[in-house]
Amino acid sequence: MLLFLEYIFKIFIFPGVLFLSVYSFVLEFTDRKLYARMQSRVGPPWYQPLADFLKLIGKNVIIPADANRFFFSIMPFVSLAAVTAGFMYVPLFGTSAVFSFRGDLIIVLYFLAIPPLAGFLAGWYSRGVYATIGATRILTQMFAYEVPLFISLLAPALIADTWSVSEITAFYAAHPLYTLINLPCALTALIAFQCKLERAPFDSPEAETEVVSGALVEYSGRLLAFFNMAHSCELVLVVSLFAAIYLPFMTGIIWLDFLLYFVKTLFILVFLTLMRASMARVVINRVITFFWTFLSPVALGQIILNLLLRGVLHI
Amino acid sequence: MRMIKKAITWGTVKSPWIIHFNAGACNGCDIEVLDALTPRYDLERVGILKQGSPRHADVLICTGAVTLQTRDRLIQIYDQMSHPKFVIAIGTCACTGGIFDDCYCVTGGIDSVIPVDVYIPGCAVRPESILRAVDTLIAGLQEKKGGEHHEA
Repeated sequence: MLLFLEYIFKIFIFPGVLFLSVYSFVLEFTDRKLYARMQSRVGPPWYQPLADFLKLIGKNVIIPADANRFFFSIMPFVSLAAVTAGFMYVPLFGTSAVFSFRGDLIIVLYFLAIPPLAGFLAGWYSRGVYATIGATRILTQMFAYEVPLFISLLAPALIADTWSVSEITAFYAAHPLYTLINLPCALTALIAFQCKLERAPFDSPEAETEVVSGALVEYSGRLLAFFNMAHSCELVLVVSLFAAIYLPFMTGIIWLDFLLYFVKTLFILVFLTLMRASMARVVINRVITFFWTFLSPVALGQIILNLLLRGVLHI
Repeated sequence: MRMIKKAITWGTVKSPWIIHFNAGACNGCDIEVLDALTPRYDLERVGILKQGSPRHADVLICTGAVTLQTRDRLIQIYDQMSHPKFVIAIGTCACTGGIFDDCYCVTGGIDSVIPVDVYIPGCAVRPESILRAVDTLIAGLQEKKGGEHHEA
């Protein structure tokens, strides 16, 4: 019974749904504020993401006559649920996640693949012209980043000799210098994550000047609120996963590690925002070319390097 | 229940997302609208974001005396927005028809087609007046008078 209550607490309050949603608001605000400061603007006040969410909750939902009602209204929640479920397997501070088993890295990667697919289905079942174009672009972009992303997340796992996120974190926390080997694939993962989050320079699925707002063009009110929330929760998940795999530095003291988690995630967010603020949108076919000709070889090279290090030097 | 309603009203006041529609304006007012969105005035300070899709937006910012060509499109855009929604008429043409009033191809002002919440006269309006209009709209919302007419 006590174990059951503990799991309920962990899933719904900390580090589960409540913490995830609150921290997603914090990260969204930090992202927008940094973006504004980089454009020498003042930027939004701290409560802005919350105000946006509450406002959208209170608005009417319009479902287009041609749209498939079931898929149209279920997709935001599918997206949000997948992100929340994936978040359970990522250790935030210390080396243990809420749930972990052998091979949960693969599970996290598949949970990370669901939000773009939900976005695609949402756009496809909206039956709008812009929504359909945005949806196809989401899927096209997925073909670009998925392979380098998988490879660059599996390369650190080779050295750690495990497929579990918690054990990878534990391994690299015990051998902090080994993280330096993974620097090239940390870079490719950062770029691939930027593409997964559909932020500039890879924001062609929701390019406002071309396809209005892509797959979500027909969404309004509550459904849009949950899609936006799923999007910022995805940002939290991505940043936490990146911190767990590429920056697994620990102090061993629990409150200090907890503070360190915020420092690490905000540090990564600065890079993601800098990329968004400093680069213009890349045309979709160039995104594919860039990912297949530059990022995939770098990530593959990392895999070969790690295999050699493991097989020949026995580290 | 009252708490939730209060929170939603607070959200509506703090985050008006706008969409900009040119109903046959000479582009003067449109440039000023874009000017208000630039870093110099930075409307994101008060939570304003420009949206591409009318479904996402709360405030329709309209310029121009409505020409017959744009009338149906204006109505369509207005219908595509979800409630609660507000309309700001920007510029003399949008308020009354301006110098194009009584022209054969012009219906004469936004309010001849859709209900308008705030009028801003001027040819062309200045970004400061657009800020003022949004402020008036927000003040009207706080007094729960949204939907009635205000002069900015």
